[in-house]
Amino acid sequence: MSLIEIDHVSVTFRAKGREVRAVEDVSFSVDEGESFGLVGESGSGKSTILRAICGMAPVTAGTIRIGGKALPSPRGSGFATQVQMVFQDPYASLHPRHTIDRTLSEPLAIHGLRDSDARVVQALQDVGLPPGFRFRYPHQLSGGQRQRVAIARALMLQPRILLLDEPTSALDASVQAEVLNLLSRLREERGLTFLMVSHDLAVIDHMCDRILVMQHGRAVEQMRREDLAQARMTTPYARSLFDASADRMLG
Amino acid sequence: MTLLDVRNLRVTFDTETGPVEAVRGVSFSLGRERLGIVGESGSGKTMTGRAVLRLIRPPGRIEADAMLFDGQDLMRASDREMRALRGKRIGMVMQDPKYSLNPVMTVGDQLTEGLRRRDGLGRRDAEAKALAALEAVQIRDPQRVMEAFPHELSGGMGQRVMIAMMLIPEPDLLIADEPTSALDVTVQAEVLSILDRLVRERGMGLIFISHDLRLVARFCDRVLVMYKGKVVEELEARHLLEAKHPYTRGLLDCLPRIGGPRGPLPALDRSGAWAQ
Ligand SMILES: Nc1ncnc2c1ncn2[C@@H]1O[C@H](COP(=O)(O)OP(=O)(O)OP(=O)(O)O)[C@@H](O)[C@H]1O
Ligand SMILES: Nc1ncnc2c1ncn2[C@@H]1O[C@H](COP(=O)(O)OP(=O)(O)OP(=O)(O)O)[C@@H](O)[C@H]1O
Ligand SMILES: [Mg+2]
Ligand SMILES: [Mg+2]
Repeated sequence: MSLIEIDHVSVTFRAKGREVRAVEDVSFSVDEGESFGLVGESGSGKSTILRAICGMAPVTAGTIRIGGKALPSPRGSGFATQVQMVFQDPYASLHPRHTIDRTLSEPLAIHGLRDSDARVVQALQDVGLPPGFRFRYPHQLSGGQRQRVAIARALMLQPRILLLDEPTSALDASVQAEVLNLLSRLREERGLTFLMVSHDLAVIDHMCDRILVMQHGRAVEQMRREDLAQARMTTPYARSLFDASADRMLG
Repeated sequence: MTLLDVRNLRVTFDTETGPVEAVRGVSFSLGRERLGIVGESGSGKTMTGRAVLRLIRPPGRIEADAMLFDGQDLMRASDREMRALRGKRIGMVMQDPKYSLNPVMTVGDQLTEGLRRRDGLGRRDAEAKALAALEAVQIRDPQRVMEAFPHELSGGMGQRVMIAMMLIPEPDLLIADEPTSALDVTVQAEVLSILDRLVRERGMGLIFISHDLRLVARFCDRVLVMYKGKVVEELEARHLLEAKHPYTRGLLDCLPRIGGPRGPLPALDRSGAWAQ
């Protein structure tokens, strides 16, 4: 069954009397337990789709449904325990004057969950950070360390759906491997559903069952993972992405 | 010809829990070439780049036996001399582009500010130059982006604005910290070719910090591999993918591949002597 349905969705920003059509008539659906990838041109609307699901972008047409139900606006308090997002920009998404401890324990406090201390330590361990990092501030961390905190925060409330915007592009190969392994393990153990954006087709191929290629606000081509590896794309744009990723192929 | 010479660079943060040695004795020299810096997260790549510009805020401090840029000792330069170098002769594309851009100023104002104030260009000329710079980095609607604020840009657009801004003053040295991590592969190729041209035709020196080992192998001339604040290996970029050092090898082996197996990716084995 489809857990997430994006049904003919358009997003239009209005800035200074100018319209920016960030997403135009895009449809796709993600099954429960599936991992679905969004790839494509920089500025093509990938992050906007994730933000639209969270109620943070002006949807001007179409419907977004989770579990068959259209999402209410505003999203309501239950949404955060169901859907969490890891943002593309780890620095901007962490409060600069809150310690890591506060960043991680706040969602627990808001939702009245106990054992905050133990959960924070566990969450840091899950993303491979030492417990001492609890008392640091974001500016005291490297880029990759901040991104791991952002992932840890998204996991605090044990959501069913994770929206992952470039979750590993700030990470080195070893931490990327650890984070991808962690995400895969959690998906398996907790039956999570992923909608993830990445520019790295090797990451997408490793993590996703199906892929949507986007360009300039529009859906260009949807394909299965096997089709990607076998170069069975039909549109020139998807082909150009694939060709430019030749250094990521097996063998 | 040497553009930058760094000897025994150290960056230390004095924190409540004791000193954190972010960079521990890094030495390298750079000609008019593309030098890659790779290494795991937290290994000191960004702090090395920022130290060259003396952009380390207290409680961080910089020590070095020498840090010479075009014959000028950066360790002894006054704050005023450093400000004159920054942006103009040495540019840095920051790892967090949106954080580094001014959130309450339009992209156009930020791009033209230096041109008007420093180079004394009129509004028209400055805007034309800024528009051309945005077009060069493949921004689809440069006119709209000129009027936009940073929060109205996508991740990769912010990165490209940052690159455009750093390239406008035609620096002699560009330190680019993960400059293309948010770009799709085709736009990335265009941006890299701009950087490449500046190195080959204008003789710019480029320090290219990146996690993307395959990209660095393709794009750079030489690579420094960093681990825990030290350079553990220096090699020619075209040999990076065949590196023998167990740490570099370990990083390479962690990478997923298109069509590769789905099981857990190998983790970096840190039990080797190199890790001590
Ligand atoms: N708040 C906003 N106001 C106006 N325009 C916006 C806003 N947010 C995004 N946009 C525009 O919407 C378009 C799509 O942006 P989005 O961030 O979704 O792209 P993306 O596919 O995630 O790109 P990238 O890969 O570079 O992150 C861009 O043209 C961007 O400038
Ligand atoms: N203000 C600070 N106080 C204490 N430690 C700091 C501070 N700033 C940075 N560090 C530490 O210095 C080390 C080097 O950081 P740096 O940002 O140079 O890493 P990096 O190699 O660029 O990593 P990444 O690839 O994740 O960006 C890290 O371990 C980081 O936690
Ligand atoms: Mg994005
Ligand atoms: Mg860094």
